[in-house]
Amino acid sequence: MDLVARVRAGDLDAFESLYREHAARLYTLACRMAGSPEDGEDLLQEIFLQAYRKLGSFKGDSSIGTWLYRLALNHCLDYVRSRRAKMNKLTETLDADNSFEPTARRESPIARMDLERAVERLPEGCREAFVLHDVEGFDHKEVADLLGIAEGTSKSQVFKARMKLRGFLRGQR
Amino acid sequence: MRLTPVVVLAALAAGTLPAGAQDVPHRHVVRVLRAERMGAYQGRDRGPEQTDRFSRKVKLGRDGRVSIGNVSGDITVTGGSGDEVSIEAVKRTRGDQSQLANVRIVVDDRPGRVDVRTEYDSGRFTRNNNVSVDFTVTVPNGASVEVKSVSGSVKVTGVRGAVRGETVSGDVTTSDTPRVEAAKSVSGDVTLSGIQNDGDLSASSVSGNVRARGVKAHALDLGSVSGDLAVSDVTCDRLNAKSVSGGFEYSGSIARGGVYDVNLHSGTVRFVLANPTGFELTANTFSGSIRSDLPLTIGGTSGAGRQRGANNRSMRATFGDGSATLTVRTFSGDIVIAKR
Amino acid sequence: MHPTEEALNAYADGSLTAGEAAEIELHLGACVSCRQLVDDLREILRATSDLDLREPPVRVWPRLERAIHLERQDGAPRTQSTDADDARSKGSPAARPTATRSRVVFAGLAAAAAAVVLATAVGIRYLPGRHGDTVGSRPPIETGAQASATGAAEAVESELRQAETHYENAIKGLEQIANAEQGALDPRTAATLQKNLAVIDQAISESRAALRSQPASEPAQASLIENFKTKIALLQDTVALINEMRKGNEAGAARIVSGLKEKGN
Repeated sequence: MDLVARVRAGDLDAFESLYREHAARLYTLACRMAGSPEDGEDLLQEIFLQAYRKLGSFKGDSSIGTWLYRLALNHCLDYVRSRRAKMNKLTETLDADNSFEPTARRESPIARMDLERAVERLPEGCREAFVLHDVEGFDHKEVADLLGIAEGTSKSQVFKARMKLRGFLRGQR
Repeated sequence: MRLTPVVVLAALAAGTLPAGAQDVPHRHVVRVLRAERMGAYQGRDRGPEQTDRFSRKVKLGRDGRVSIGNVSGDITVTGGSGDEVSIEAVKRTRGDQSQLANVRIVVDDRPGRVDVRTEYDSGRFTRNNNVSVDFTVTVPNGASVEVKSVSGSVKVTGVRGAVRGETVSGDVTTSDTPRVEAAKSVSGDVTLSGIQNDGDLSASSVSGNVRARGVKAHALDLGSVSGDLAVSDVTCDRLNAKSVSGGFEYSGSIARGGVYDVNLHSGTVRFVLANPTGFELTANTFSGSIRSDLPLTIGGTSGAGRQRGANNRSMRATFGDGSATLTVRTFSGDIVIAKR
Repeated sequence: MHPTEEALNAYADGSLTAGEAAEIELHLGACVSCRQLVDDLREILRATSDLDLREPPVRVWPRLERAIHLERQDGAPRTQSTDADDARSKGSPAARPTATRSRVVFAGLAAAAAAVVLATAVGIRYLPGRHGDTVGSRPPIETGAQASATGAAEAVESELRQAETHYENAIKGLEQIANAEQGALDPRTAATLQKNLAVIDQAISESRAALRSQPASEPAQASLIENFKTKIALLQDTVALINEMRKGNEAGAARIVSGLKEKGN
């Protein structure tokens, strides 16, 4: 019996296998979309609970990994939408406060932890677009669909996020 | 919070709640909470205070870790120059001198860390709580410190590493200690000043006030059940504040794109903001009022069809560029947005 | 004349045409600050593509397992699907359930209460400021366009009763644990916790009274839920503290304080 069928039949060990295989990917997505590992952790639990309940509706027309990812993404998007200020408002005010005098050429590559931390600090609005486009690899049209915004807005949000990251990583707020 | 549509709940006004609906009784738990008669609490010894002193110095290095765990008694930690941990402790009892020997002060000395704790011989708190131990500890000022007492106050001054200070019954006070991560009490006040923390600060009490002055942090988490929350000269990116019977005041600045959530029951929420670039405000109060010195544009954007326009008690409004998010709820208190 | 930052950004991620890119390259040959920006952006893109997967904390699986067991006990359907879920699992945001004439998605008090109880039972931190009803799926109550006011009132009444039942169960569960532990708190702490439970009860009373007088009031509804959650959290922490004290683990008792009022307990 394959894994999904076993879970449907109530085999919790099978569900644990599913969890072990996919949790890291979904947790990583949740942390970055939500902006903190604490929220990411809670989202992860909810995602898998929901997955457990809804496994009955998995038709097998995609891989189980893709199905889980979509479920997780939708869950993260719901969470993000219910919290943030409206993105449209933000696009009108791409801040100019990222300008500063360039100093020495960048010496060392950006450390992963620093970048993760900087991504968490991104304001909501541009963070989701950045995560979906630059991290998860969706194109601007797809990001626009997922977030319910215009394609141009997705482009400007991603631009804004990159500039903010540049500011953070150079030690500015 | 997406809640029941208006039309459905309107019928409630007809008083159709079941007769048995009452507050969930907690008397069962309360019975359990009431302390059993314990020998230690009877016949309090009234003799003269007997004391015993303890003194130890341990080399640590500039940025090691120090932990102090106590049961009954105050803990005072000060950051100093130098690279050693200097521990002074005073055991006290009003009972017999011999009781002092029942409590040992244990110092674990390992590379990069020093752990100090009190150990009670019988292993049960209740039998020996007529002996208290007060600690006065000096640590290298770059050390990180974790301090815990059960019945006693905690005070940390001038320590630059990461600091956590917690007690069940007593005050927690820090000053000139920039990287406080957690400061908590159950029955006591939490008072902090001079925080400069790249990360998160969590400060709470159950029955006591939480006050912080001069705070710069990424995320602030403030809570009390019956106590006030007040932060002044503050700037942070995120805020979560909650109290049941107490007020909230935030005097400082908010960050662009910051997220600020406040939830009170009977207290007043007061934001005094210095030059905010903008925020979107969602404010709700049942019986209080909402007012603002800053000019607000009423009405958010699409919202889930619950937009009823502004009334005195429920509002979505925008100021400036709307970049930060303020979500403020109080049941019977007022909501005030003032400018500095 | 410098290119705009947006143009440099597009250049850095390769989304310009060959002609546009060539123009920019020409400028970069002679301009330090623009080159710096492009280098930085490219480094950010490189580092972003190099980000790790994060491992979730170990505690997540045991909590999930507990949650599933609890659900099974409740007799909740183990796996279920709805049309809306099907649409959503296809990844289309446009297929989100919305209120229609024939179906009202009822994110009521009971669902929120059940969610909280489930969450606290398995140790999920409740985060105030989030929608309390996003934990778990919402049980939709179908009310047709012809639903009578009485029918609707009954639905709400039953929602409230369900909510109370859920909270009562949580309290009872906590009581059982507390009883088994034979309260080991010192009188002062016990009195403090007792007093604060009373403060919360008072707040709950006020919220209920408000809800009776103005059932449509969102602040009243929200405050009732919020106060229930605060009460559960305090009870839970009290029990944990009692446990630690009983074990004679004073240092552990102090550690429990870390959990007290930690946002969102």
